[in-house]
Amino acid sequence: MRAFLTVGSTKFDALVQTALSRAVLDSLNRKGYTELVIQCGGSDFELASSISQDEVFSVLRNGIDITLWRFKPSLNDEYERADIVISHAGSGTILDVLRLGKPLIVVPNPTLLHNHQEELAEALSTLGHLQSSSVSDLARAIETFDSTALVSFPLFDGSRFSRILDEEMGFK
Amino acid sequence: MLSPSLVFLSLLLCLIRLYLIIPTPTVDRQRRRKNTDTCSLAVFLGSGGHTSEILTLVSAVNFSRYTPRKYIVSEGDHLSVQKAAALELLRFNNASKIDVSNNEQYTILTIPRARQVHQSLLSTLPSAVLSLVACLYHVVLVPMFFPKGNKYGFADALLLNGPGTCFVLCIAVYVNKFLGLPAPKIIYVESFARVQSLSLSGRLLRPFVDRFIVQWPQLLQDRSRGEYHNWLV
Repeated sequence: MRAFLTVGSTKFDALVQTALSRAVLDSLNRKGYTELVIQCGGSDFELASSISQDEVFSVLRNGIDITLWRFKPSLNDEYERADIVISHAGSGTILDVLRLGKPLIVVPNPTLLHNHQEELAEALSTLGHLQSSSVSDLARAIETFDSTALVSFPLFDGSRFSRILDEEMGFK
Repeated sequence: MLSPSLVFLSLLLCLIRLYLIIPTPTVDRQRRRKNTDTCSLAVFLGSGGHTSEILTLVSAVNFSRYTPRKYIVSEGDHLSVQKAAALELLRFNNASKIDVSNNEQYTILTIPRARQVHQSLLSTLPSAVLSLVACLYHVVLVPMFFPKGNKYGFADALLLNGPGTCFVLCIAVYVNKFLGLPAPKIIYVESFARVQSLSLSGRLLRPFVDRFIVQWPQLLQDRSRGEYHNWLV
């Protein structure tokens, strides 16, 4: 099975660093994962200097095949191929992953100023659409995560906005 | 020489005018349009998540009805331009060949950024002024002097979802309203990411836009202006 971790368009040093830690890799191992793909963006961590801009870096650690790279134009293929997605709590990533019906663990970035990522993660976690975690809690979250208990996320319903706009502009 | 009473009088008149053009809940909403009418649509792409969300909203509307479309981007935001072009191309390819009204009827307007991310408020002033001048040019001046080449004026509807620069656009629209010129209906949709507290743009624009829409009901607990229609993205 494959896990995919993404930090989005910026960086999240602590999340990438913890994903490479023994505790997280052991958790993944125990849950049956053999592959971990990490989109590390501009993050700074122990292996960061080995990964140039357009390069893919591979390493085997604690029985997990780890692949790291910085950016790709679209992550949709990666989401599709993953059995679980671990991500920063950006709303765009959350929507993309949940709409594909993929199990998702989000880790809000506590170093962001005016952090409202945490609000969204918490609200969606309360509704049962995803699991919210933290950098220090990630290993435990992976181990106790039960994707069958998730509530499926509603499909995009464009008629809602379309109706509002039509109403405002005087179309019946 | 300006006497104090004259200054006071003009200020008072300005305030009365402003009071008259601010949307009220009881306002007679709009003229009716026929189903065959078209409306021009302007959309501000605020970069990153803002752009993705608002383009999701745009993808929901009837492109033959809301035409032509204008996408307004901040200088240097190439990614937003690409995303808008991708959406337009997709809709163009999916449109039936007979439906010529949908022939990539869109333009991109670029305006200087009002505020860089993490820029301090004081240093924002010059860039905000530059941004305002550009918005006034596109929203007030161009439609005033080239009404024929631009038969709808600036636009009939303007979609906003933040951040900073969209406030400047709103000011430009209010200049039109103040002068009694055609002005677009402004629809503001707060980001899906805003669960417990409104964004700065949201708080600033709330009293001034025609529709103020949030995607989490908690945001309307203060019983101030706004509406909730479940998730829109």
